[in-house]
Amino acid sequence: MKVRLVTILLLFLSINIVEGQDNLSVQLNYANGLFRSEQYYDAVTEYKRLLFFDSTKTYQYEANLKIGESYKAGAKFDDAIKYFSFAELNASNDDEVFKTKTEIIRTNILRRTTERALQLCDDLEKDERFNTKIDTINYWRGWAFMLSDDWKSAAKSFAKINPNHELKLLAERTDKAKVSVTFAKVISYILPGAGSIYTGKILSGFLSLGWNALSGYWTINSFIEKRAFDGIVVGELLWLRFYRGAIQNAEDSAIEKNLEISNKSLRFLQNEYKGTKL
Amino acid sequence: MIQSTFQKIFALRTYSNILWILFLIIPFVKGYCQSTNSNNYFSPDNRLQFANYLYKDKDYLRAANEFKEYLKFNSNDTVQFRLSNSLFKIGRFTEASDNFKGLFFGSKLSEEARLMFFESNFFQSDFNSFRNLADQDVYLPQKYMKDIERLKFATYFFDNTTLPDENILLEPFPVSAQSQIAKFYIQKKFQLHKSPATAAILSALIPGAGKIYTGEIGDGITALVATALSAYLAYTNFKADHQFRGWLFTGLTAFFYGGNIYGSAASAQIYNARIRFDFDKEVKFYFEQRNYFLPQIDL
Repeated sequence: MKVRLVTILLLFLSINIVEGQDNLSVQLNYANGLFRSEQYYDAVTEYKRLLFFDSTKTYQYEANLKIGESYKAGAKFDDAIKYFSFAELNASNDDEVFKTKTEIIRTNILRRTTERALQLCDDLEKDERFNTKIDTINYWRGWAFMLSDDWKSAAKSFAKINPNHELKLLAERTDKAKVSVTFAKVISYILPGAGSIYTGKILSGFLSLGWNALSGYWTINSFIEKRAFDGIVVGELLWLRFYRGAIQNAEDSAIEKNLEISNKSLRFLQNEYKGTKL
Repeated sequence: MIQSTFQKIFALRTYSNILWILFLIIPFVKGYCQSTNSNNYFSPDNRLQFANYLYKDKDYLRAANEFKEYLKFNSNDTVQFRLSNSLFKIGRFTEASDNFKGLFFGSKLSEEARLMFFESNFFQSDFNSFRNLADQDVYLPQKYMKDIERLKFATYFFDNTTLPDENILLEPFPVSAQSQIAKFYIQKKFQLHKSPATAAILSALIPGAGKIYTGEIGDGITALVATALSAYLAYTNFKADHQFRGWLFTGLTAFFYGGNIYGSAASAQIYNARIRFDFDKEVKFYFEQRNYFLPQIDL
């Protein structure tokens, strides 16, 4: 009889506990709905409400992770990292720890704190718990390199996953398409305007060459006519100016071209790449 | 045997009765739970708890929204104050001042609300209106009269209104701060501006002189040398019968000469803007570091 009474009492209590629990899950579903419909501000509010009323700490990991993701979606990267770190503290298994750590790495890449992202990748790689997840670590390391414009290193990272990895091929293509800033400058030292021609700015290169030839002629002509002061001043004010200008122009053109190439690849990643993105 | 069966039936009945009673009780207990709203996260009481948590966590925007929802159902001066303060913290000063106004009469927080009302108005950066408001003597909090007066005199450093008498301005500030504020006063009153017209005229007379006047000595000398040199080159080229080069350097000389006149006037304007910017930055930093000599109020 006593056993039955205790059973009934437990049943009665459990109904209330389940109901409390159920309210939390209803709140979680509500917040998830807001998150799915990309209402990130409201989603953060509701996840925070869930955290506040979750006295049993049942949803600490999930809610903190989602708050982090919402902040990340709203480009509030500092807040995102803060909540991913809270989620990591509440992670109940290695998979959850790995998930939060990679989210922190991804947010660091977006925040352009690449050094930190790479350091976290290294730490994760050294952690024996994640020996089976090396590919994922290399994948995000590759992304960190790509977004810091180091395509060569990016290609190496993706090659560790698969020698024919789509992103490895993209990173290689981008790296090969880029022009050498040093080479552009050096050839401009030898022949003014050549650097600009090398970077594809042909008209600008020939104009630069023409100005240099004309001012050079005036300078030399002044010396031939024994007007040394004129020669020095024309040489200084015109020829040297055009000569230096050609070198500077070659450097700027090379940097601009490289930026265009990088941006083209980044646009591909943003709009056309089908794999996991940041 | 019969007795045993009877006992079993009785026990079963007792069990059934208890079960029935419990099933009858559960809805009432549930009803009670609902009436206390312990599980309804959107009940006013729960909203208030959540809002206070957000407020302490300095998530003022969300806290303000929750306080607003709470105030739809209840009236509470502390909550009203916290709502106003949340709006103040997120820089919605107009809304904050309107909400602080609601606590002016019949509230224990009236004095604090009035102070914060003035602070909200101060940060709206319409300093002329702020001074008028402070002079009207209508909403002034008795407890914080001196603080408002200090704030009023601080506004003179942030706009271009004529400064009042030095002694009157310094009086409300603590003695320890008076020497620094006196320095600001002198700087503001006797700011050394450079005239763009003077700079242009000087450069028209002697190329580069306008730049030297505005403190750009290196630029001034360079302008003088460049103009003189290109003029000399124009002269020598014409003399050597190189017409094209002569005209080229004449054009260059005119370009240097005209450019220097324009550059000198611009340099004077930049100088003035820099002086103003540096002064404003220094004053703002000084007052911000001291919270504008206001007490910290956080309920």
